[in-house]
Amino acid sequence: MVGADGLATLVAAIATLVVLGGLLGERRIFGWSQHLFAGLVTGYLALLAITEVIVPRVVAPLVDAPGDRIELWLAAGLVLSAAGAPWLPRLVSAVPISIAVGGLAAFALGGAVIGTILPQLTATLVRSDLDVATTVTTTGAAVVTCLVLIGFLHGAPRGRVVRGAASLGRWLMLGGIGGWLGYLLFSRLVLLVDRVGFLVGDWLGLGR
Amino acid sequence: MSDRLTRIGAPILLLVVLAAAGLVPSGLDIADPGSKAVDELRIVLAELDDGAAVLVGFDPDVGTYAEIRPTVRMLLAELAGRGIDVSIVSLTPDGRALALAERQRAERLAPDAQEIVDLGFIPGAEAALVALGGAIAGTSELASPGGASLEATDLIIVVGGNDLGPRSWVEQVQPRIDAIPVIAVTPISLLPEVEPYRQSGQLAAVIATPRDGAAYRLVADPGPFAALGDADGGPPALAIVVGLLAAIGWLGETVVRRIGPSLGPRPERDRS
Repeated sequence: MVGADGLATLVAAIATLVVLGGLLGERRIFGWSQHLFAGLVTGYLALLAITEVIVPRVVAPLVDAPGDRIELWLAAGLVLSAAGAPWLPRLVSAVPISIAVGGLAAFALGGAVIGTILPQLTATLVRSDLDVATTVTTTGAAVVTCLVLIGFLHGAPRGRVVRGAASLGRWLMLGGIGGWLGYLLFSRLVLLVDRVGFLVGDWLGLGR
Repeated sequence: MSDRLTRIGAPILLLVVLAAAGLVPSGLDIADPGSKAVDELRIVLAELDDGAAVLVGFDPDVGTYAEIRPTVRMLLAELAGRGIDVSIVSLTPDGRALALAERQRAERLAPDAQEIVDLGFIPGAEAALVALGGAIAGTSELASPGGASLEATDLIIVVGGNDLGPRSWVEQVQPRIDAIPVIAVTPISLLPEVEPYRQSGQLAAVIATPRDGAAYRLVADPGPFAALGDADGGPPALAIVVGLLAAIGWLGETVVRRIGPSLGPRPERDRS
């Protein structure tokens, strides 16, 4: 008799085998598994939106006190105007999109300035209370940052020095991306080892 | 025939070798015994009083969670062992699903532990973080399904992923709270992003490599909730080494195949 845990393990093992089968060139069942995954994710997102966002945060407050939540009525109107964009005048449908983009940019830029740029600049400034190694490291980080930023100069009139700095900045950026891809490879490798360990240990029961 | 055999045989061989490497005791130890990251984490945890309140921002992604899962479980077990109030909140759908799974696992394996307060899923990404920051600082109320007050928060733990990680918490929440330490547990792919915040002190501690995670699991004390901790749950070191060697071999083979012919002697031009 297989319990709920056993059944879940069996389903997970079959799904893992199907995905690993994609490595061996088995595309048809792998394609079905991708469709299944897309369907499950869509269903999960819809469930999450309905049960944790729309009902408790929008519908319930509006039903409880319809006259007290003007902002929710306003937001619902904006959502409707965004949803009806194909049939509405561009000026009307542009309002919710503008608010969404503006809000996103304001939060992201404000946070980046207050939470990252200023504190990181402060941390990289050469101060008398830092030891030599830290000073060299932070100064190096600041120099690398400047060179990479210069590397983004495109089309502006540049002298020989700026052109060399921009070229160096681009190479440094490529090196950084390479290092990050190495970290990403490691993360995915751990995931593969974890899945193989799941098949061998949790499913087949070997080594447990 | 030979190409087909290589195409199918090589992945099967790799999977078999990885499976075997996970079963064979290799004597390799992935833990870094002198980990500075673990020392910093121990200092932050030691400063918590028993009965303190910890908020966990739980937003890992399914692609990288396997890497940090054992460390996160041990951290939750250690907090449970000390009787610390843990609240958990997610701002991404992935994080919400994984948070529910971990919460259910904790209830199943440690029914006697203090229940993890579920603050639910808060939509809005950066805007939600601003609201969370205001709720922790006491300047605004948080309309979360859990409805708990966050003003008494003593520590914030960010379990990060590729979507909404420690950087967003540092940018949106930290400027709004006073002297509440923020620590992070992240996969190694986020190390370049979080390390500057650790060095500047904006993150009080960061566990971002499997070596640091394994080292933390060695010294952590989950008390009566060892089963919750999953101390042996990390990836086997030998399997990782084998996988890395395979990746390097594949990269080398690709480079030789693509660049190799251009390095050989150029064919002479036909001058006739």
